[in-house]
Amino acid sequence: MEESKEDETLERDSLETVEKKEEAGEDLRSLLLPDIKDLPPIPPSAVESNFVRYFAADFMKPGHDQYVYRHANGLCVIGLAPTHVALREKGGVTAVDYNVGKSDRSEMKVTGKRKRNAQHFESNSALCKVCANGTFYVVRCCVKGSLLEVNDRLIKQPDLLNSSADREGYIAIIMPKPADWLKIKDSLLSHEDYRKLRGL
Amino acid sequence: MASQETEETRQILSRTALSFPSPRVVHDLLSVGVCPRCIFRLFGVHGQAYCCSAITASVLQSFLEEQKSCDNGTAKNGLVSDGLVRCSYTSQESENGQAYCCICLGVLQLACEQDQEMMTTSKDGSIDDFTATIAELVKRENHHIDGFSIEVSIPPVIVANERAIWMYMNKKYKCEEWFKDKIPSQHISVKDALRLSINTSLENHLGVKSGVDSFRFRLNYSHLDASRMLQSSLANDRTCKKQKTDKKDSGDSLDDSHKSNLKNSNEHLRSESDAVILRTLESMLDHAFCEHFVIPPEKFSRKVSQSRWIIDDERMGEASVEEIVGSNALLVCKGDNYKFHAAGREDIDVRMLGSGRPFLVEVSNARYMPSMIDVQLIVEKINNSDKKYVRVRNLKVVNSQAWTLMREGEAEKQKQYAALVWISRALTEEDLHNISSRKDLDIIQRTPIRVLHRRSPLERKKIIHWMKIERIAGSCQYFLLHLCTQAGTYIKEFVHGDLGRTHPSIGAILGCRAEILQLDVTDVKMDFFD
Repeated sequence: MEESKEDETLERDSLETVEKKEEAGEDLRSLLLPDIKDLPPIPPSAVESNFVRYFAADFMKPGHDQYVYRHANGLCVIGLAPTHVALREKGGVTAVDYNVGKSDRSEMKVTGKRKRNAQHFESNSALCKVCANGTFYVVRCCVKGSLLEVNDRLIKQPDLLNSSADREGYIAIIMPKPADWLKIKDSLLSHEDYRKLRGL
Repeated sequence: MASQETEETRQILSRTALSFPSPRVVHDLLSVGVCPRCIFRLFGVHGQAYCCSAITASVLQSFLEEQKSCDNGTAKNGLVSDGLVRCSYTSQESENGQAYCCICLGVLQLACEQDQEMMTTSKDGSIDDFTATIAELVKRENHHIDGFSIEVSIPPVIVANERAIWMYMNKKYKCEEWFKDKIPSQHISVKDALRLSINTSLENHLGVKSGVDSFRFRLNYSHLDASRMLQSSLANDRTCKKQKTDKKDSGDSLDDSHKSNLKNSNEHLRSESDAVILRTLESMLDHAFCEHFVIPPEKFSRKVSQSRWIIDDERMGEASVEEIVGSNALLVCKGDNYKFHAAGREDIDVRMLGSGRPFLVEVSNARYMPSMIDVQLIVEKINNSDKKYVRVRNLKVVNSQAWTLMREGEAEKQKQYAALVWISRALTEEDLHNISSRKDLDIIQRTPIRVLHRRSPLERKKIIHWMKIERIAGSCQYFLLHLCTQAGTYIKEFVHGDLGRTHPSIGAILGCRAEILQLDVTDVKMDFFD
């Protein structure tokens, strides 16, 4: 008789522990699950939330529209804006070449936290050439600063420029000095102004 | 009474003298300006000789005189004269300036600035006064201690001085028998001698025994002039191997490179040398008492960062976990400062839920060791604070082993997350299967752009151990993604792909665009603290 009572207590205890665990699990779930009505139908993209989008229209040549996405930490992602002439060509972009005569930009390797061995470029320095419908278009830096990274995936997959030039098809990442950024900032267009200009 | 003391002193001196090579050597050293305790050290004397305040240079002198006359067969009465007896070798004591030992610069003479007026009457500071001052400080600061240990820091110039004396002795006595026996390794260091001198007296004043791993006293000694002289003399010695110079362009002329040599070496030395503040008892006592707590805290708010986040003097975020926990611990332990160490961290907008993340709080100069009840008090204060930002549990006092455990865990353990994900098309059953079927998925992450400004650009291989999609009722494009990953994985970038720099990403796997709205940490698998 006593034994079974003990068993009962044990069982009860273990049940209680399981219940407690389940309760904790339930609490957790309620914290995790959002309220449906708070969720927007289309949330802002990662780029929209983390970067401020600037545009350079007709940069050095008509039709050469480029974007500069600036992160809160100062880094700038450079790429082709949707209205760039190269993207309008028949067949789209077929090749991307980072070898722009002086050096192959895809060869550089930046190391270390301070990124001391990064090359410094002016805003009109050439980054790469994109080939579309037989014509070569030069893509430039737009911002003066150190070149941290080029998107070497474009070499093997130039089609990224046609599918998502504003995301996976970015050209390069540049780190401008705060003073240099302030100088160039005013010559760039905000997202709103760019859309107005191009009638989008 | 005086004669009893002097009798004791005499006995101690007799025992000590057994270690001496010969009285004239000791005479010689005294005349050069070495203090008695340094002499004891050099000849490997142990024991009570250090604690005896009465042994001044003059007392030692007189004792040796007496010994000499004893040796010569002349009988003299056995009283050791007190410090007022002057003899030709020690006449310089009565003048200021040269009264300090030429090796230890007074460290073992326990003289300090305040005594300068009293120099002539009691040249060697009494050990008792010295330790009384230390005990006073402990009492004033209200420290509760159950033991102590002494750490001593002395300027390098003392080592140089000792070497000079050895070289002097070597030159003078190298042919003598006893010198070859008394190898330098027999000698006791200044630090040990100091400890021998003040240990017993300190024990008496504080009422506790000395022992390792307890309350630590740090005595910082420094001598500005001597250290400066040492530095400049080392700098002038171009053969000194310590100089490290940057490789300059070959265009530099010889003169320039020499100059830069010296400049670099000076700076190098300056940074190497010990603290150069004039030796004063008061400001030099430096305690370091560390306690450790280990708790897994849960961070409930998305407005609270782990540590204080200040940009341009402006605080970002409303509060920090570090401050909430640290300040409460500090209050109870009555310490000066706290340091917060955690096994990893997350962004300010990520909540730490579930079992919580283990961390350590280090309270420096704590005057009070909290009991179990006090620890519980801290937990309650944190958990019941107004804003309910942070919850902690399982708080306890630990030792430094916990530190190692935590650091190991940080790099090795897996972490579990729940992310609110949106995709650009409707979710299908196939997607659920696709995701949950991938076990130990290898991904390559380039340093995310959001941290690229302060971290090295690298490609890091990470493993996603498992993933599970949980549908959200009422939405076909939003879902909860549960995943368990290797430590150090950037979850946000894994979801949205970071412009293709993390591959594969959720978007790539599902063949559409994916965005992350919310991230919560649900488990950090470090249970050994329970």
